[in-house]
Amino acid sequence: MKWKVWFGTIENEEIEVSKNLIESFEKASNDEPLPFNLFEYGLKVFQNEKEYYRKLRQVAIESTEKKVEKEIKREDKYAIALVKALEEVEEAINLLKEKLEDLSEIKEDELVKDFKEKIKSLEGLLERIEKEIDDVMKKISPNVTEIAGSKIAAKLLERAGSFEKLISLPASKIQIIGAEKSLYKALARMRRGKTAKIPKHGVIFIHPFIRTLPKSKRGKMARFLAAKIAIAAKIDYFRGEVEEELYEAVRKRYEELRRK
Amino acid sequence: MKEVVRNVFIKSDNTIFTRSKYGSHYGEKVSEGFREWIPWRSKLAAMILKGYRINFKGNEKVLYLGAATGTTLSHLADIIDEGIIYAVEYAAKPFEKLLELVKERKNIIPLLADASKPWLYSGIVEKVDFIYQDIAQPNQIEILEENVRFFLKKGGEFLIMVKARSIDSVADPREVFDRVRRSLSKKFEVLASDSLEPYHRDHIFIHAKA
Repeated sequence: MKWKVWFGTIENEEIEVSKNLIESFEKASNDEPLPFNLFEYGLKVFQNEKEYYRKLRQVAIESTEKKVEKEIKREDKYAIALVKALEEVEEAINLLKEKLEDLSEIKEDELVKDFKEKIKSLEGLLERIEKEIDDVMKKISPNVTEIAGSKIAAKLLERAGSFEKLISLPASKIQIIGAEKSLYKALARMRRGKTAKIPKHGVIFIHPFIRTLPKSKRGKMARFLAAKIAIAAKIDYFRGEVEEELYEAVRKRYEELRRK
Repeated sequence: MKEVVRNVFIKSDNTIFTRSKYGSHYGEKVSEGFREWIPWRSKLAAMILKGYRINFKGNEKVLYLGAATGTTLSHLADIIDEGIIYAVEYAAKPFEKLLELVKERKNIIPLLADASKPWLYSGIVEKVDFIYQDIAQPNQIEILEENVRFFLKKGGEFLIMVKARSIDSVADPREVFDRVRRSLSKKFEVLASDSLEPYHRDHIFIHAKA
């Protein structure tokens, strides 16, 4: 068995020291727990305990620093690209389903079967994209994901354009993101002195706490949720730690509205 | 002021401090070599304030899962001042802040890794005396057990902070805690366990021995 450790490899008690410690550090993965204490082998390579930890710490900091910088730059763009892909695939599935219905009404044959298979495989793809969105959003925006769900969190990010832009939006804007068209239509009508309904919610509508309330209460819930999302986004961006009170507050407000 | 755990002091007004030669990390007050430890920010501080003790010698090897921005970690690093702490955190954003701490403290080794995949850092972390886990994940118990299997020495101890809602968001917290305690006590010797009220709602800690 060849064990990969951060300073090289160990096989039959023989140590082969890596020439590039950063590289071996990042690849030090083994399927099973090491059957020996790593530190004892480390002492054979480095002069003493102090030197072992000094080197390990140096390599760990260097590797982590690079990874952190890369991830932070990349992840919000990645999430945005994923949302776009998700929406395209969803649309494709809907379109294909429509066509399938038309076809199967007329004739049931080989082609219809192929159609069904295609749709099924696209649905599999959709699931994988959703899972990936979930992973990424939990990582880069844990608080918004906690209170709004990863799909809404990602969609807000995509509509805002970037994380920086999202945190600069007021709650009122977050509330109607995704419903801009009907908002501007309503505003235009009002300018002409006519009555109009201003939308209560945009992409946050798919949140179960809004969707499951009667219409008359959805506006209140949407306003509250948007306010908390605005706070959560700022915490995610500047601090990144999970703030447990936020979800609690949202849930409480929902229960309140549901009972009334 | 009384030393209740190595380098941890409680004043008569029930405030808690760690002895430290370092400055403030998360906005806590620092005076004359002591850093204030805010129990609402740190579950370990809450546990100690509630009267529970862990007998740290100060030279332990510790694996810390879910280091976040390093609030609790900074105090643990004061306690384990002659040991080594491997600090695992998965999210890049809090890691920025964590790195500031790591660069200041010589006894912390940072790992940007997913704690649910201990095999990925199995060639980095040595066998440890203590595992501290504070990650709000539905499978946090499995994550702990895997890390115990990979890294904890025989007779080593662990401390886990359990959040009821992240394990089961609809069940009664007490029921969740009972379930968790029961399943852990099958494999480990539970030394102490209690809620962290009033500092942290719907949280308990479990201190156990492997």
